[in-house]
Amino acid sequence: MSSVSATIQNVFNEPACPKNAAKSEKERKKGCTKQLQPGGAAGGCAFDGAKIALQPITDVAHLVHGPIACEGNSWDNRGAYSSGSTLYRTGFTTDINETDVVFGGEKRLYKAIKEIIEKYNPPSVFVYQTCVPAMIGDDIDAVCKAATKKFGTPIVPVNSPGFVGPKNLGNKLAGEALLAHVIGTEEPDYTTPYDVNIIGEYNLAGEMWQVEPLLKEIGFRILSCISGDAKYHEVARAHRARATMMVCSKAMINITRKLEDLYGIPYFEGSFYGIGDMSDSIRQLAQLCIDRGAPPEFMDRAEAVIAREEKLAWDEIMSYLPRLKGKKVLLITGGVKSWSVVAALQEVGMEIVGTSVKKSTKEDKERIKELMGEDAHAFDDMSPREMYKMLRDAKADIMLSGGRSQFIALKANMPWLDINQERHHAYSGYKGMVDLVKEIDKALYNPIWNQVRTIAPWSNPADSWQAKADAEAAREAAELAADPAKAEAKRRARKICNCKTIDLGTIEDAILASTLTTVEQVVETTHAGSGCTGCRGKIGDILADLAAKAGGPVVELTPEEAEARRRSKKICNCKEVTLGTIEDVVRAERLTTVAEVTAATDAGSGCTGCCEDIEEILDAIVAPAEELTAIAAE
Amino acid sequence: MPQNADHVLDHFDLFRQPEYREMLANKKKNFENPVAEAELQRVVEWTKSWDYREKNFAREALTVNPAKACQPLGAVFAAVGFEGTVPFVHGSQGCVAYYRSHFSRHFKEPSSCVSSSMTEDAAVFGGLNNMVDGLANTYNLYKPRMISVSTTCMAEVIGDDLNAFIKTAKSKGSVPENYDVPFAHTPAFVGSHITGYDNVLKGIFEHFWGGKAGTVEKLTRVPNEKINFIGGFDPYTVGNLREIKRIFDMMGFEYTIIADNSDVWDTPTDGTFRMFDGGTTIEQMNEAVHAKATVSMQEYCTEKTLPYIANEWKHETVAFNHPISIAATDKFLMEISRLTGKPIPDQLRLERGRLVDAIADSGAHIHGKKFALYGDPDLCIGLTEFLLECGAEPTHVLSTNGGKAWAEKVEGILAASPFGQNCHVYPLRDLWHMRSLLFTEPVDFLIGNTYAKYLERDTGTPLIRIGFPIFDRHHHHRYPVWGYQGGLNVLVWILDRIFEVIDQNTIVPAHSDFSYDIIR
Repeated sequence: MSSVSATIQNVFNEPACPKNAAKSEKERKKGCTKQLQPGGAAGGCAFDGAKIALQPITDVAHLVHGPIACEGNSWDNRGAYSSGSTLYRTGFTTDINETDVVFGGEKRLYKAIKEIIEKYNPPSVFVYQTCVPAMIGDDIDAVCKAATKKFGTPIVPVNSPGFVGPKNLGNKLAGEALLAHVIGTEEPDYTTPYDVNIIGEYNLAGEMWQVEPLLKEIGFRILSCISGDAKYHEVARAHRARATMMVCSKAMINITRKLEDLYGIPYFEGSFYGIGDMSDSIRQLAQLCIDRGAPPEFMDRAEAVIAREEKLAWDEIMSYLPRLKGKKVLLITGGVKSWSVVAALQEVGMEIVGTSVKKSTKEDKERIKELMGEDAHAFDDMSPREMYKMLRDAKADIMLSGGRSQFIALKANMPWLDINQERHHAYSGYKGMVDLVKEIDKALYNPIWNQVRTIAPWSNPADSWQAKADAEAAREAAELAADPAKAEAKRRARKICNCKTIDLGTIEDAILASTLTTVEQVVETTHAGSGCTGCRGKIGDILADLAAKAGGPVVELTPEEAEARRRSKKICNCKEVTLGTIEDVVRAERLTTVAEVTAATDAGSGCTGCCEDIEEILDAIVAPAEELTAIAAE
Repeated sequence: MPQNADHVLDHFDLFRQPEYREMLANKKKNFENPVAEAELQRVVEWTKSWDYREKNFAREALTVNPAKACQPLGAVFAAVGFEGTVPFVHGSQGCVAYYRSHFSRHFKEPSSCVSSSMTEDAAVFGGLNNMVDGLANTYNLYKPRMISVSTTCMAEVIGDDLNAFIKTAKSKGSVPENYDVPFAHTPAFVGSHITGYDNVLKGIFEHFWGGKAGTVEKLTRVPNEKINFIGGFDPYTVGNLREIKRIFDMMGFEYTIIADNSDVWDTPTDGTFRMFDGGTTIEQMNEAVHAKATVSMQEYCTEKTLPYIANEWKHETVAFNHPISIAATDKFLMEISRLTGKPIPDQLRLERGRLVDAIADSGAHIHGKKFALYGDPDLCIGLTEFLLECGAEPTHVLSTNGGKAWAEKVEGILAASPFGQNCHVYPLRDLWHMRSLLFTEPVDFLIGNTYAKYLERDTGTPLIRIGFPIFDRHHHHRYPVWGYQGGLNVLVWILDRIFEVIDQNTIVPAHSDFSYDIIR
């Protein structure tokens, strides 16, 4: 398992991600995805993430080493289409049993690989590790290595057992597997200045096929698409492309960045959703090729196709505009990038009244803000009651949602359209936008919504849950208005940090009591934001609010008081050691290392969480001291 | 030859063998005086044209592939709904064999029914003797509680007087004087099976309530709180009536199902042959006169019965048109609630919500699709409303036994919906007309009975089997199409076919199977 954890650590170090790069070493080790909360409804595991990322490689046999659960539940469950081989749709698993768990499953795995080679002779077999064989210590790397040698076919271990983390991590581990074992292992017959990679595109519902012909017409050669409709040999040759387009946000950023690091292939992040985004992506891709030696006229070819396709798409879309213009959309979506859909919908005159930002990165959120303006609401998680409220206030005409939240939408009496991976219409490219508009139009005007939005005709409207929810909300509001103390208590009880269950009141008190001014200070003092770090933005807002309220520093302190307060700041929460104590000891005993400080004060001997802070204190004291020594020596 | 005594091939395989193919080709070439292939194709294509359609619709005398059955069939359907009742068809026995096989093929159950076996001499001299002997034999052979007499054309043409004949038979001791022998004249040359159903039902009401053909006093109505329910000629009677009973029991009021044939066409296999099973009892029929209201689920199946009950017996009567859609089912339940004063239970509100949920979950697949449908008038209305509710366009609505009034009603329904704007109604038309419609104005799906499979073959329009008769698919009659549960069944049948078509279109390996998905 050491190799897996090393790989994971490697994945967590992502210089191309500003958020990741801004983290301290220790935070980075914790990973970049939200920690799973025991007892909460969770998404897919790392195995699932790895499997869905690689399964679209069509001519590979995807062999799942594990009990039936892992392949049984994931067999062919994505609409990633193939233009050639259908081998990727065949479910291969070692289906290990009790005996294998006791005696080990490596031999069975080896035999399974052998049988696949004999019966199917694929260009490669991808072997997926799962929890059980990982726990009993099956070394799939060794088996794959031996099998590769024996059969002369590359057998690729994908080390991403479910327990290592969530789906997003699995996406990245899949990328690592490709980097380690596939990419760069073969050379293309020839190269051109127009060779490009498309990474993070899965050809769901055949979306790539709506884009590919246009790219080809312009003159691009898609050397490798990872992994939609990909063939093994194409992936193996990805390192010879001139430029990379990264499609699905951060899911495969590690491949993209390492292609740049190792092979000097520049990349950009683009989207095929929405007319404007599609055109921008084509331009950026062309520009990268030109920067690397393609003739400048190449851009003219691109512009010609863009102009033609944009006109065609707009002509078709215009027929829908009268029906869609001004319609209000609530966007509850995960996988498909929220911001790209936002841009797309605005092109057809629709107004976005809110969006969920689940699964979106901070940059995504910024982009949503940029596109939608400050008025639009971004909801981290929207409860059905809130959804209903939006609807009742006539703020939303339709909800665009993912395969699972569609059901919530329905219960909230809201028309919806599925725009996530389980959809069956391709919405990418210019044609995709036309199709999306067509589907939105259909969904909006589906007569069933009349029934969805009305209760059974014999029912008393006052008995509906909507009416009850309204009454309850009104009652609560009245109660709070009548009792300011209660209102304040409710306000303060709002949970800010879900990981550490810390509410607004606690954070406000801490800020006021210790005159904290930065998010980091609040995190240190209250531990809010030390889990998934997802609430740090909110903490920033709280700080800003309080500062605004106070109209400056809360209290005027004398220099002595300020110093005393500074020194009283608790550095080690476990052993309750203050900054002053540590500073005094460091100065008095001329300590230079954290270990010395810990030995002297006990600080850092508990959870070790404050060791970095101690290091900073040391730096602050020791560095000037050394300087002085140096000056004195002169 | 491929056929030999050691290994006899059946028709599925035999004529596909190369020897037979060659032989049949030679036969055609040498002995059938075939037209040139190009000419054949030209005519085939011409039958798909607007030109042909106009000629087809100008037909005056000829009916080709009718979508209706005869009155006596409907008569038998109604008669078996009464406890221990043998339908007795006065006429030739061949007709009766048809009804029995027709129902057996649809319900996959034995259908008991007797005839007076009129022959040539009876046609000349009248069928009185056949009636006298027939009633006596039926009574003694099967020991029924009631014999329900209807007629075939033969008896009608010679003008046999059922009332007089039955009286004579009774006086001659065929059956006891006070034995119940209701009757109805049901000539096949008038109306269709739904007319026969109506006539027999009215005959039975007249018999029990109206003084048994002048032999006893008319009943005196003392209104009570009960409701009478008439299902009409309903191919889903087994599932539907059980669903109606469930709904009524849930609402908690007293009711009588008139002509309840749900058990006789769904008898268990447990070692006992049941010639009769279930059904409305004579006692219930006598009691039913006191009901406060009589409800008909199919207006066009009770065009005479319902006015008789309203006018003669002053029941409040309410007729529906085979409700399937949410709105139609709402209306049905609210009317029942109004009549009985019973609230609609929460369970039904939940079932309604579930149907709304189901349509919303998968309605996108039906939305915007074009449908052609044909069937009995009430079923056509029910399906039209349901399709409109799902956002589908019922482009061609055709009925062989639906008349001008029916057509106007359907046109009104279509006009009221944005999805009905380019849709047309075709009363008194047949399946050959439908063929022209499907060729000249193609649709995505066709709803009809088993006979529509030829239209499916000729025009390539995928068929959803809903209607009567369904011979080539089993057991659908066990599922209700009424109530919200029934709407759900209709939804599923339609969706199943839609998904099958998507799969069919994507199943070819290495040609279209890139879209052959496990998730739809």
